[in-house]
Amino acid sequence: MTLRLLRSAAIAVAVLLVWEAVGHVPVQGVRVFPPPSAIFWQYVADHDLYLEHIAATVHTAALGFVFGNAAAILAAIAFCRFPVLERVFHGVNVTLFAVPMIVVGPVLVLVLDGGLPQIVLSALAVYFPSMAATLVGLRDVDLRVVDVIRSCGGGETAVLRFARLRGALPSLLAGLKIAASLSVLGAILGEFGSGERWGLGTFLLGSLGQANAARLWGISLAATGIAMAGYGILALIERRMLGATIPVTLAASRLPDHLARGSGLSLAASVGLSLLAIAMPFLLWAAILWVTGLNPIIAPGPVDTFNYLFAGPEAADARARLFDALASTLPMAFLGLLAGLIAAFVLAALSVLVPTLTKALMPAALMLQSTPLVALAPIVLLILGRDVAASLTLAILVVFFPAFVLLAQGFALVPRAALEVVEAYGGSQLKRLVLVSIPYSTRYLFAAAKLVAPRALLGVMVAEWLLTGTGLGNLLDISRASLDYGIIWSGAVASVLVAVAAYQLVSILERLTIR
Amino acid sequence: MNVAARLASMEREVRHDTPVSEPPDVFIDHVTKVFDGAAGKVTALDKVSLSLRRGAFVAIIGPSGCGKSTLLRLAAGLEQADLGAAFIRGEDPVTFRARGELGIAFQDPALLSWRSVARNIALPLQVLGRSPRKHAADIRKLIDLVGLSGYQDALPGQLSGGMRQRVAIARALVTNPSVLLLDEPFGALDQILRRTMNVELERIWMHRRATTLLVTHGIDEAVFLADEVVVMQARPGRIAEIVPVPFPRPRDPSLMYTREFQDICARLSAGLYGESAG
Repeated sequence: MTLRLLRSAAIAVAVLLVWEAVGHVPVQGVRVFPPPSAIFWQYVADHDLYLEHIAATVHTAALGFVFGNAAAILAAIAFCRFPVLERVFHGVNVTLFAVPMIVVGPVLVLVLDGGLPQIVLSALAVYFPSMAATLVGLRDVDLRVVDVIRSCGGGETAVLRFARLRGALPSLLAGLKIAASLSVLGAILGEFGSGERWGLGTFLLGSLGQANAARLWGISLAATGIAMAGYGILALIERRMLGATIPVTLAASRLPDHLARGSGLSLAASVGLSLLAIAMPFLLWAAILWVTGLNPIIAPGPVDTFNYLFAGPEAADARARLFDALASTLPMAFLGLLAGLIAAFVLAALSVLVPTLTKALMPAALMLQSTPLVALAPIVLLILGRDVAASLTLAILVVFFPAFVLLAQGFALVPRAALEVVEAYGGSQLKRLVLVSIPYSTRYLFAAAKLVAPRALLGVMVAEWLLTGTGLGNLLDISRASLDYGIIWSGAVASVLVAVAAYQLVSILERLTIR
Repeated sequence: MNVAARLASMEREVRHDTPVSEPPDVFIDHVTKVFDGAAGKVTALDKVSLSLRRGAFVAIIGPSGCGKSTLLRLAAGLEQADLGAAFIRGEDPVTFRARGELGIAFQDPALLSWRSVARNIALPLQVLGRSPRKHAADIRKLIDLVGLSGYQDALPGQLSGGMRQRVAIARALVTNPSVLLLDEPFGALDQILRRTMNVELERIWMHRRATTLLVTHGIDEAVFLADEVVVMQARPGRIAEIVPVPFPRPRDPSLMYTREFQDICARLSAGLYGESAG
């Protein structure tokens, strides 16, 4: 234990020393990798600025975390108790999962005042992963336990109370860990569009124009640090709470969950529910505007936005601007997604041949997948400038790490017996990989694609907004600044529709490929 | 058809056995259950009838897919019949179980991993809205009865498979049920542990005398524990024969080595493998 600690400390010191040495070599006149000492002294020089900015971001993220998770947990309980509700809200859930959060910021600023837009954005960023994790936990109840509870006269309420709620805790805590860093990401993305005085997002935006590498690195590290701290606190709570409660049920004897099966609805009812699910996000949008009674020019509803794009006086112009932006954003997001996924799959496959590779990469990947990706933007700027390469790189970076974690876990789940059959016939390690591991793990490729496709879009849009000044990200940024309400809303809606369509496309491909 | 004729005569026999003055504790009346499987419809139970008088211990054996577990789940109200019905003391099982007089245990102990042994055993009491604290003494006695003294605060993860299964048995007994339904409760245990548990179950049953329906794969287990062994056949699930087990109680494990015991086992396996018994 102490030996391992010592070794880790030695490696950390060595890395810092190399970094320090490299940092003193300028690349193209700019010190791309400012030495750790420079970053440290910049912190000291900026410390009062940092304190204010960090305090604002932590405050926003904490409130977003609390409200987003409260909504997520209540929604998960409602969805578990009344499965039909989940079907009705399917469209809303997919939308909240797939939406590139950066497009929501400018819309929220139009609708809400003060610090609220960032808090709401942070809560929205948190909602889906926590809701999904909680729902999985609630649903994943031992059906024999349900039988026991029913046999002594209990109903669904008793099952929820005695089995589901406590049983969902490990899954919920895993979701909360992810949510911790997402709340920071949401807060920072919200700060970009809010025009607020304080917050790391504001600080980042203001520092991008200055060639102060040490400060840009400092902001990146600070944002990462906050997210990691949140993750770490929850990991500690998790360890404290779950210490001795390991599930003891024999998984093999489990029946498929009753809830997962078709609930015996007629075709008409099923189609009706699906249509309602698709309409629900638009109905909610209209309902919120109706309740708040906002000026339809600043906050147009679904019909107004449709008219703006297809019937209004500037419709043709607006459509052209939107399509131009999409034409520059989407190929970039697609390329980034593809490259990131391929890299992750190849590395995950290689790590079967060279297990030390997983050991070396996994901790870093686990850490970086829960890092707010915008924190990487300044570093990408320093290394790659404001080029197209910057968008692509950011997209690949945000795709690669979560995809690698998921795929490496998929490769680890390949049944041992299947591998041993090939081994028994004298099959080499490579043969085993080609014959068993790769075909088996392809299914996880789709899961990974669904998970990271929205991130690829968000990565490209963040790069466009902050760095390259092209595409949809830039269009939203300039519309925000010039208060071009029509474009803000229609751009946000277009991004959401594209993201949801991409998600559905992967789902359909998955269903066609995997039986 | 030979089987149908035998079935009819057997049903008559079962009805005949039941005195008019005392209705059967568990009564399964011409139950049919069809499942939609991946390979089409499967008739799990085809017009099956069975009755258990008060205080009886009946075991069901049969090949996989003969519907024996489905029969037990119907008796517990966990499954609804397509045709026919199950009754416990003349009531619908769903009505009956709300009284807290039904105990149930499965092949999987199905314990809550976050609850201690004592709190797992107390679960049915809590579901019924009774105070586990008032029944603390009963729970203690049950823990002693299933041989887990000193483990009341242990978590399921700290116990062996056999110990967990004993917790599940104790949980099934905590409401002092008048009807006990056991679905292969020792199916996941090894042969040695299984025999020990059989002896313990017989001892516990002698203590409580609940009307018991046991579903099992083990012929010797069925013969050792039951007053009557029901042999089922698959596709469609039907009762092939009912064999009485005349041994006096309490039964000693040495019973299993007697000629009479072996004879009944031989007769049952003949029935199971579809050969004519005799």
